[in-house]
Amino acid sequence: MAVPGLMYFLIFHYGPMYGLVIAFKDFNLYKGVFDSKWVGLDNFVTLFGMSGFQRALRNTIIIATYQLLFVFPAPIVLSLLIHEVVNVRYKKFVQTSVYLPHFVSWVVIGGILYAILSPTSGIVREVASWFGYEGSVANLMASREHFRGLLILSSIWKEAGFGTVLYLATMLTIDPHLYEAARVDGAKKWRQIWHITLPGLRTTIVILLIFNVGSFLNAGLEQVYALYNPVVYEVSEILDTYLYKLAFEEAKYDLATASGLFKSTVGLVLVLLTNFIAKKIDRDSGLI
Amino acid sequence: MRTIRRRRPQPGQWVLNGILFAVTFLTLYPFWHVLMYSFSDPQRAMGGGLFLWPKGFSFDSYKMLFQNSGIWQAYGNSLFRLGVGTLVNVLLTATLAYPLSIRRFLWRTPLTLFIFFTMLFSGGMIPTYLLVNSLGLVDTLWALIIPSAISAWNFFIMKNYFQSLPPELEESANMDGATPLVTLFWIVVPVSLPVIAAIALFYGVYHWNAYFDAVLYIHSQSKEVLPIFLRSMMNFSAVESSRSIAPSDGATMANISEESVRMATIVASILPMLMIYPFLQKYYVKGVLIGSVKG
Repeated sequence: MAVPGLMYFLIFHYGPMYGLVIAFKDFNLYKGVFDSKWVGLDNFVTLFGMSGFQRALRNTIIIATYQLLFVFPAPIVLSLLIHEVVNVRYKKFVQTSVYLPHFVSWVVIGGILYAILSPTSGIVREVASWFGYEGSVANLMASREHFRGLLILSSIWKEAGFGTVLYLATMLTIDPHLYEAARVDGAKKWRQIWHITLPGLRTTIVILLIFNVGSFLNAGLEQVYALYNPVVYEVSEILDTYLYKLAFEEAKYDLATASGLFKSTVGLVLVLLTNFIAKKIDRDSGLI
Repeated sequence: MRTIRRRRPQPGQWVLNGILFAVTFLTLYPFWHVLMYSFSDPQRAMGGGLFLWPKGFSFDSYKMLFQNSGIWQAYGNSLFRLGVGTLVNVLLTATLAYPLSIRRFLWRTPLTLFIFFTMLFSGGMIPTYLLVNSLGLVDTLWALIIPSAISAWNFFIMKNYFQSLPPELEESANMDGATPLVTLFWIVVPVSLPVIAAIALFYGVYHWNAYFDAVLYIHSQSKEVLPIFLRSMMNFSAVESSRSIAPSDGATMANISEESVRMATIVASILPMLMIYPFLQKYYVKGVLIGSVKG
C-alpha cells in the first residue's frame, strides 16, 4: 500500500538530488545529465564571480535577516496581546480576522498592494489628503528605498495573525496557578509575561525558529516573485528568482543548479547547527 | 459567554482592545478597499478618493471580467487542480502514513527517515524541472499535481495521528482477516475524520494559492490557473501587455477599466475561499493544533 507514496518520494525528491550532479557538469540539455562533461567545481567558481549572483546573495541575506528579526517575533507579540483579551467574543472576532490573509495567494496580495499603494487612486494619497497634502506621492512598489520594507510589512500582514495559532494554544497549556502565585507576590503584568508566559513558549519558539533558520535562504520566493518589478530588481532579486532567470532566460542550467545546491547545503547546515545549539542550551528542545 | 467576564474591565483592557481593533482594521481594510473599488464606477475610482464606500456604483468591471473567456478557463483549471490534486494528495498521504504508523512494520524506521530527509535537503528547482520535463509533464495540469503529490509535513501529521489511535483497532481488524487497505478505509479513516479534513484543507488551500509551479511548468494560456491569470493582468508594464482584456475603444478607456477589472478579478479569486471561510478556518486551525502535538 505504501508503494505509490514511496515511489513518489524516490522519484520526485531523490530523483532531483541525483540531478544535482549537473552542478558539477558542463550541462547540455540535448546530451542529458549523464553524457554532459564533468567540470568539477568550475561552475561554482564562475557563479561566485558573477556580479548578479553576488547581488542576489546579498539581497537574500539582507531580506532573510529582516524577516528573522521582524517577521518571526511578530506573531509572538500579537499572541501576547490577544491572550490578554478578557471578552471572549471580541477575542474570537480578532482571531478570525487576523487569520484571513494567510489563506490568500501572494499574487492576490500583490494585486491588493498595487491597488492600495497606487499613486493616483490608492490609500496613501487619500490619507495624505486628509492632512491637507495634495502633491504627488511616491509609488512604494517601485521605490528602491522602500521596497524591502514593503516585503517585510506585507509578510507580517499576511502571516503574523495566523502565526499566533500555535502560540495561543501553547499559552493555554500554561498552569494558571503560576500566574496566581505571581500575582500574590505582587508581580505586574509585564513581569508575569516575562517570567511565566515567555518561558512557557520557549519550546514552541525554538522549534519554529529552527524551521525558519532552515529556510533562511528561501527569503520568500512566491512573495518576491509576485511583488517585485524591474525597477526594484537591484534591491530584491533573491537567489531563487535569480536562479530561475539563469535557467530559463539564459539557459544556464548548470550554473542555476550550482546555485540551488549551494542554497540547499547552507539550509541543511543551518538547520543542524541551530538544532545543535538549541540542544546545547536546553536538552529537551530541538527538533532532531 | 458573559459569565467568563468576571473581572471588572480595567483601563488596560480598553487600551488593549483599541490596539487590537487597529490591528484588525489594518488586516481587513485592504480587502475592503479592493472590494469597494471593484463595485465603483471605473472612471471615478481611477481618480482616487475612495476610502470606505464605492465611488459611484457599477457592475461594469464584473461584466467586463466575465465576458472574457480567459477567466472561465482559469477557473476551470484551478478547480481541476483543486479537486483532483487534493484527492491525489489525501489518498497518497493516507496510504503512505498508515503502514508507517504500524509499530510491528519492520521497515518503519528506515522508511520514515527516508521521508524525513527530504524535509532537510532537496534537489532544488532546476533538477526538479528537468525531471518533470523528462517525464513529459511540462505544460500539462498534471505538472501541478504529481510533483507535489505528498507533503512530508502533512505525512508526519497524519502518521502521528494514526499512531495515537489504539493499536487494538488495527489488530482486531487484522485478526478478522481484513486486508490493510480495507482496514485503512473502513476502520481507520472513519475515526480519523478531523485529521483527514484538516489535511485535505491544507492541500486544498495550497492548490488554490500556489502559483510558482505554474510559472515554471505551464506555458499555454489555455492551461493557466487563476493566480496566473491574475498575474498576467497585473503586468506592471500594462501598456505593452498583450493581455489587455478591456475593450479597445481608445487607450485611456481601456486603461481606466483595466484597473477595475483587476480588482474584480482579485475579488473573484478569493470569493470561493471567503464563502467557506468559517468552516475552513475552524478545521484548518484544528489541524495545525493536531499537527503540533508531536510535530
